[in-house]
Amino acid sequence: MKSTWRITALVTALAATALAAVAGSASARPAEAGKTAATTIRIWTDGDRKAAVDAVAGRWAASRGVNVEVVLKQFGNIRSDLSTVSADTAPDVILGAHDWTGELAAGGLVVPLTLKATAKAQLPGYTLDAFSYGTGVKRLYGTPVVVENIGLVVNTKLARVPTSFANLEKQALTFKRKRSGNLAIAVQQGSGGDAYHMYPFFSGLGGYVFGRTKAGTLNPKDIGLKAPRFLTNTPLVDRWNKEGLINSKIDGATAETAFLKGKAAFWVTGPWNIDKIRKANIRFKVVQVPSIKYRSAPFLGVNGFMVTKFAGQHGVQSFAKDLVTGYFATSSAQLTLSKANNRYPANTEAGKKVTDTALKQFGAASVGGVPMPNIPQMGSVWSELGGAWVKSTKGAGATKARTAFTVAARNIASKIG
Amino acid sequence: MSTTAVRTQPPAAAPDVEWGMPSKLIAAFSGTVGRVVKLVLLSLVNAIVVWAAIILAQESKWPALVVLAAATAAIDAAYLSKRAVPLKFLIPGTIFLVAFQAIPIAYTVNVAFQEYSVGHIITKTEAIQAIEENSLAEPADGKIYTMTPATDASGGLVLLLIDDQSGKTFLGTREGLEPLPKDALTVDETGLITGARDYKILQGEQLAAVDTELSDYVVPVQGAAIRAEGLGTALELEPTLRYDATANTFTRIDNGKVFRDNGKGSFVAGAEELEPGWRTYTGFRNFSSIATDPLIRKPFIRVLIWTIAFATLTVLASFFVGLFLAIVLDKPTMRLRKLYRALIFLPFAIPAFLVLLIWAGLLNDDFGVVNQVFHLHIPWLFDPWWAKVSVILVGVWMTVPYFFLVSMGALQSIPSELVEAARVDGAGPLQVFRKITLPLLLVAVTPLLIASFAFNFNDFGKIYLLTGGGPPAEDQSIAGATDILISYTYKLAFESGKGANFGLAAALSIVIFFVVASISAVTFWRSRTLEEMR
Repeated sequence: MKSTWRITALVTALAATALAAVAGSASARPAEAGKTAATTIRIWTDGDRKAAVDAVAGRWAASRGVNVEVVLKQFGNIRSDLSTVSADTAPDVILGAHDWTGELAAGGLVVPLTLKATAKAQLPGYTLDAFSYGTGVKRLYGTPVVVENIGLVVNTKLARVPTSFANLEKQALTFKRKRSGNLAIAVQQGSGGDAYHMYPFFSGLGGYVFGRTKAGTLNPKDIGLKAPRFLTNTPLVDRWNKEGLINSKIDGATAETAFLKGKAAFWVTGPWNIDKIRKANIRFKVVQVPSIKYRSAPFLGVNGFMVTKFAGQHGVQSFAKDLVTGYFATSSAQLTLSKANNRYPANTEAGKKVTDTALKQFGAASVGGVPMPNIPQMGSVWSELGGAWVKSTKGAGATKARTAFTVAARNIASKIG
Repeated sequence: MSTTAVRTQPPAAAPDVEWGMPSKLIAAFSGTVGRVVKLVLLSLVNAIVVWAAIILAQESKWPALVVLAAATAAIDAAYLSKRAVPLKFLIPGTIFLVAFQAIPIAYTVNVAFQEYSVGHIITKTEAIQAIEENSLAEPADGKIYTMTPATDASGGLVLLLIDDQSGKTFLGTREGLEPLPKDALTVDETGLITGARDYKILQGEQLAAVDTELSDYVVPVQGAAIRAEGLGTALELEPTLRYDATANTFTRIDNGKVFRDNGKGSFVAGAEELEPGWRTYTGFRNFSSIATDPLIRKPFIRVLIWTIAFATLTVLASFFVGLFLAIVLDKPTMRLRKLYRALIFLPFAIPAFLVLLIWAGLLNDDFGVVNQVFHLHIPWLFDPWWAKVSVILVGVWMTVPYFFLVSMGALQSIPSELVEAARVDGAGPLQVFRKITLPLLLVAVTPLLIASFAFNFNDFGKIYLLTGGGPPAEDQSIAGATDILISYTYKLAFESGKGANFGLAAALSIVIFFVVASISAVTFWRSRTLEEMR
């Protein structure tokens, strides 16, 4: 009995050692290889732009004699995963949205950058401001690459391009009354609300999310939902609700179907739907929502590249900064990246080379637009601002807009704390 | 003697026994085959352990290494010895219990006692470094240079610089900035330095080797310092904050404002806070803020009551509808019985998130199918009370198949003699159901009811996908009319303040655990009386 035990133990030990040797050498290889093979810059990007980032970053890598590894991530996960990723699999460079800047910079996860004067000259000031953050010293944390915004898409067969907001209101309501099932303005809300798509109407009435301090940074204590210049105009919201110009029961799917099936002549949406409209053979033109009391500016979303704190830990920070502030800022790189998912490039030189008519029109509809606030306190705003619109435009039994927005402002203030 | 006796008298029953599949398998794996399989598996485990040990040793995680070695030795001993048979069966289960229950719970509890949120993610050392870096400012007349890293005769790193405005050439070293004759550098038509007389320009892997040195490289000039920004640019930056390591404070250079460590992971001066902060232990602060924060306290009771009502009503209604269907379809003589059963089971087979998104569309007030088909004008999702009804109805629709299946099984396990005996004694069908079937059924089903209750109590997906917690409730607080505790926790922990607050979320989920656990415990205790009746 004893001898079987010993043989068993011996065999196990031998097998384990043999396998361990194999496993050990396998695990040791990348560590050794790291020293001899080329330095690698790891980039996180989304699926739409993977191929374009591969191409652009590849060209840079070849010129610098290093490697790039482009890792595919779900866009939103890039933001959340950056705070939980372990250092050895962490990215050196990320593709991100400008409104993540505050959260990532306040967390110390991205490092400040400086663009050369020549690069700055080709990037609109608001795109740089969109990526700037700091409660004391304001610094830049990303190189803007593409800009996106919503506009008013007009089905030119069913309606004329509105000349003023009153004209839009008249045309939309006439179209709505023509047939049951028709929508006046297809702008998506749903029970959860959608502050992003409603923003042109909000800013057109004089509303804003956060004011600015004297130093020019966004001030989370100044909440524009209860600004007097906006509240005096809220009776217009009540009117729109009464006449059915805007209806919060229209959600994303409803708005899309209605416009594509000719049951809505006006659709508030962004460049991500250009292909769908073309496939439905609809003749259309994109314009900015006509100004109401003020310019009906849309929210602007700027996407760009940032350098993470991990680049320093991986010993590639200078390379990562060179790629982000140098190469990604050039017009040729931006044009390639903007074509990947049909967005407007941030670089003005690249902007001149945009040929897509609809995209150009979306670009024109962005004039005077407001970058979404990039401070982390914005997280407290979305559902409340959207909720105020839902309550005040739900048809019968709607809350008075003045009350709805005042309550939302109070809730935002208490959430920000 | 005895051997012959065995040989001559084989067990008479042996040929008649039909061995089942499990027994055959056990037989096949006993003996040599089994031993070999066992050895291979055990060797694999050991191999993985050795591989893990190498990594742990590389990262100097000694306590973990000791635990790993001890656990492996124990596992090997248990499986190699002939004794400890129960242990052999217990070990795999225990490993999974530790990996999937104990560790996540320990991690959650650990996080609950930390300041771990947006702005408090990195370590203190990293935070100090980041504050220093983020507070560097470009002076008003700061210069920007085109830069090329190079090495001097002794192999030390130097920066070859061209002032972007004046076009003058300089040599930047750790000592300072000195002018360089123009002809010492070769510059191409794009303005890049391609060659240098006395210096060796670094490229590719040579650059990679000095990357860290380069990003920390500082060329002192009066007042400010020139720092490399990437590989092609250098610029003047001046610090606006200074860290004092002995006092553990930051001082703002222009006005002398002192920022002190507040013990909660931040340097603060009055209301002003330096970003980033760091992740740190703060004791019971997350728990005490649950009790004191008006944002949490105000709607808590309302949300708690609704959560209990939602979970209870969903489970009870599903159970009774499921039971009713099971009884109705229990008649073996019914035609198409299997088809009906399959149809009832169908909702269970569709992924839950899909069901919820479809229902959210169907229940849309103005454009949803439900209102259009039935010519109704019910504000299913926009009225606080109707939204509650919708949530429960959809919940019931999703849970009925489960209780249908469970009840069907449980009904068949009730001995038919009992029912027949009751009938003989003159009991009507309702009486039989109330006095015999239901009590016996409940004995089997109560644990499942409790489990289902606990599941619904924390069914975040149902609320989030169907109503998003909305519509806004009458009390105008942040919690919507259909927000249950877990979805409200999500709003508090991830959509307020500066965004994600993992510490608070962990603390809240521990509180929720205690609520669910105490409700379940009471119910279990009361259900024992049912069992005693049996």
